[in-house]
Amino acid sequence: MVSVGPSGELCEKISEISGQNPFLCMQCGTCSASCTGIGVMDLLPRQVVRMVQLGRREALACRSIWVCSSCLACTARCPRGIDIARLMEALRAINLRKGHEVLSPERIPAALLTEVPQMAVTCAFRKLSA
Amino acid sequence: MKLPYFPGCTLYTRARGLDHSTRAVLAALGIELEELPNWTCCGTAFPLAQDNYIGMVAAARILASAAQHNGRLVTVCSFCYHVLKRVNHSIKNNAEARRKLNDYLEQGYGGETVPVHPLEILKHDVGFEALRARVRGRLKGLKVACYYGCLLVRPAAEMDFDDPENPTIMEELAAALGAEPVHFPYKTACCGSYQVLNAYDVVASRGREILAAAAAHGAQVLITSCPLCQFNLDWLQGRGEGTVLPALPVLYFTQLLGTALELPAEGLGFESHYVDPRPLLLG
Repeated sequence: MVSVGPSGELCEKISEISGQNPFLCMQCGTCSASCTGIGVMDLLPRQVVRMVQLGRREALACRSIWVCSSCLACTARCPRGIDIARLMEALRAINLRKGHEVLSPERIPAALLTEVPQMAVTCAFRKLSA
Repeated sequence: MKLPYFPGCTLYTRARGLDHSTRAVLAALGIELEELPNWTCCGTAFPLAQDNYIGMVAAARILASAAQHNGRLVTVCSFCYHVLKRVNHSIKNNAEARRKLNDYLEQGYGGETVPVHPLEILKHDVGFEALRARVRGRLKGLKVACYYGCLLVRPAAEMDFDDPENPTIMEELAAALGAEPVHFPYKTACCGSYQVLNAYDVVASRGREILAAAAAHGAQVLITSCPLCQFNLDWLQGRGEGTVLPALPVLYFTQLLGTALELPAEGLGFESHYVDPRPLLLG
């Protein structure tokens, strides 16, 4: 698991990279209800935000941040005005900047690579590889 | 009218149909697209980390190079439109972004270019009433699901495109062409996007839901402006993973418009679709 020091530091680091205040979250779950990737997430987006508030490292180690498709549905609907997609990106960035990535070229079936539009490849590597 | 045009990488490769049909329909309506010289990829992902300015440089270069052509820059791919519009918004409204990005540019740029989508040109320059007068009823009765996905409409404050929860510009277009837009609650749902390369299950499950919802509301075709939405929804059906029978052709809105304008079908890029739209559209 990626380490970022004491728990308060995690929250501070995430606020700095995302520009968001995670403590505005009141745990209503609108983000989870709107989420595209919810079906394959281990933590609901609401729970990811709670882990960030608590400074818990589970937020960095969960699958949810990697199956987020940055569709901004959570961001658009958050009644507290938190850009949750930016929190997710900060959690990915902390991992990626320490070399922890989830997507490598060998993992992608060659047949798919020849068919998929270019933006999928560029976007996936920018979001999911170090 | 001549307007500068940024096609983007996918429109030169996997989404040639979107490029060709966009040029063809706008030309038929008196708008000539002039491709920007020396363009590069837009970056595809607007960086959501506040400190990631390098992820905005490619888009900043494109916007700055278009500024010499006074004003608007046409781009049709939802990814390109999203990135150009948001990077431009950052340059205009965030002094630090403006200063840092200008360090990478040959000439000073302050956000003067206005990225514009062909849907906006059709509504505001051509006019849907004028379009209605141009078409001869070839699409009469065709039931269309208008699918916006995520990038065209969100975040509303920066995209300033249409209502983020209930956009209607594509329905207005479809209606002007004589087709019947259907009620489609999934119109701003995400198809799973680039997760097709990482979390395939997201794309498979969301794609099935989106297609099933369109079919349940009677749609015979689905239209989009995004090459990745088009691919995900079309390819899933090509793999036999759509649950919709008969299969639902997934078109670019420009291909529907080109059909309504009775442009030659060979120029509209139908041959690369997994679900062939020709039997239904050209019958």
